[in-house]
Amino acid sequence: MPPKVGVIANPISGRDIRRVIAKANSLQIADRANIVVRLLAGLAACGVEDVVMMPERGGLAGHALRQMAQSAVRGNARFPSVSFIEMPVTGTAADSRIAAKAMSAMDVGAIIVLGGDGTHRAVAAECGATPIAGVSTGTNNAFPEIREPTITGYATGLVASGAVPKEIGLKPNKWLEVRIDGGPAEIALVDVALVSQQNLGARALWRTETFRELYVAFADPQLIGMSAIAGLIEPVGRDERHGLMLRLAPASVAPLVVQAPIAPGLVEPIGVEQWRRLPAGQPIAPDLAAGSIALDGERELTFHSRQNVSIRLVENAFDTIDVAAVMRFAATKGLLRERNKACV
Amino acid sequence: MSNNPFPLSSEDLMRAYRTMRTIRDFEERLHVEFAKGDIPGFVHLYAGEEACATGIMMHLTDIDRIASTHRGHGHCIAKGVDVHEMMAEIYGKATGSCRGKGGSMHIADLSKGMMGANGILGAGAPLICGAALASRFRGDRGVGITFFGDGAANQGTVLESMNLAAAWNLPVIFVVENNGYAESTSVEYATAVDSYVDRASGFGMPGVTVDGMDFFAVHEAAGEMIARARDGGGPALLECNVARFFGHFEGDAQTYKAKGENDYNRENRDCLKIFRDRVCDAGAATRHDFALIDLEVASLIDAAVISAKNAALPQARELLTDVYVAY
Repeated sequence: MPPKVGVIANPISGRDIRRVIAKANSLQIADRANIVVRLLAGLAACGVEDVVMMPERGGLAGHALRQMAQSAVRGNARFPSVSFIEMPVTGTAADSRIAAKAMSAMDVGAIIVLGGDGTHRAVAAECGATPIAGVSTGTNNAFPEIREPTITGYATGLVASGAVPKEIGLKPNKWLEVRIDGGPAEIALVDVALVSQQNLGARALWRTETFRELYVAFADPQLIGMSAIAGLIEPVGRDERHGLMLRLAPASVAPLVVQAPIAPGLVEPIGVEQWRRLPAGQPIAPDLAAGSIALDGERELTFHSRQNVSIRLVENAFDTIDVAAVMRFAATKGLLRERNKACV
Repeated sequence: MSNNPFPLSSEDLMRAYRTMRTIRDFEERLHVEFAKGDIPGFVHLYAGEEACATGIMMHLTDIDRIASTHRGHGHCIAKGVDVHEMMAEIYGKATGSCRGKGGSMHIADLSKGMMGANGILGAGAPLICGAALASRFRGDRGVGITFFGDGAANQGTVLESMNLAAAWNLPVIFVVENNGYAESTSVEYATAVDSYVDRASGFGMPGVTVDGMDFFAVHEAAGEMIARARDGGGPALLECNVARFFGHFEGDAQTYKAKGENDYNRENRDCLKIFRDRVCDAGAATRHDFALIDLEVASLIDAAVISAKNAALPQARELLTDVYVAY
């Protein structure tokens, strides 16, 4: 049976306050549709004939289908057939969660996600054992790697079809779980930041004087956002078994100051009081008594002094497609080569 | 009220609630009074969208100008126009803010920087570009805000104004109050993008979408945009996703809305409830504090209706006065 792959491209992402307080870009619908078409071409090249997409009402699918039809007329491209999940469209991040759950239940071979950290977080929370492949379209992206979508389509197709074994093509990921008063866990794929502001407001983080604590699953000094602060202190790989926790303070009073790119084009002095490795599996109670909790750079939760907050790093939380490893394996094994019989 | 974790003083929190409550009660009362047949012309009610006007206007002073829409009562109240004069204007009385000759869709008070409600969709955008240009020439650091709905967002005047504001780097904030319906036509049917923010980047200005039913989200985003514009950073577009609790106009049967849509929004998306719960939960105010404001506002609206009903109509000889403004 030919493999089926899911695609979740939620048009709501990438329209927050970072366009004003920083230099974040805004990727328009036609550009997002173009990304979808490119990854579909990659999937088709690896034998994927059937793609199921999340429905939306932003016009993204319409643009993509039109581009595919135009290419088909010219006869210079091949694409899988595209169908849509039957689900109500709310026009919110909830759509990504619902679609991920439905695709996982349909037993798709993989889910390709277009978006930033927020969209990836929504999908990772519901995808279960289905691996995901990320395509970066958001702003403060630390989780999805920046790569040509055609190649992501290629790699996803190779894994979904079984041409590349899962032991090679998949890699496990950590995430951070946050619970308030023992309630249901909220997750973050990259970082959990505690700030003294006790309201969600416009959600993004930029008032550095309010930064108090930071917990990261991984920290790469090449990335932007809150995890960049940790990355400039002590880099932590995605495959390492620990994370990092930092106590932050206003730069004017902290013993150490890091010039961190906390948003695109926004480099700020961040005060660091202390840091240490965050072991996996061990719940940590933060010191901050009241404030708000940002998951992957967006304030999502508030807590007050009568509530207990715990943060835990979880290993092997979900799988992603290791595009670099898949393509290397495919090249080494000659999976994308064929002899031209006319020349033999 | 010492335990205040919000980025506003306790006084400003109460001021914000009082403004939103005044708009809500003003509109709810008009809904009742209009049905009695005493009010001339049309009224378009703003109930449901209070957080949008209030969250933005908290950052403005009288030096800043706004250009409003046909659904302008909320903008007027949040900008500081006298509620008695507004009510009298809607009743067409001589004590109204435009001496009873404008009505609901033409309330204005230049002393407050309220350039006028406007019955022509998208007409406020070019006006506010002119006001912003004037502010720049005067050097008064004034900012212009133009409001328009999801329908007017498709008007050429709005798009041309966005281009002009970007080209001339004018201190203008374009505010789309996206309530999902252009009169009775849904956004999905009539608009090629699912967010108006996508258009902002085409004009070289930043655009941001916020939940317009969340006062704090509007307040924070608008604050950054207005401060940026005031400092010479140029125009920006703010899309506030809101829900209007009434029809397009009073008398609208609203058959284009889903069954139970208004009830759902009143129950789950009411910006006053959301604000009150959040402030009380944080311990920054008590239910009693809010109840006192509710009583105070109810009295204000009662008095405004009584005084408007009892006021005199304009004299016939006033018909041709105030038609043109002398420069």
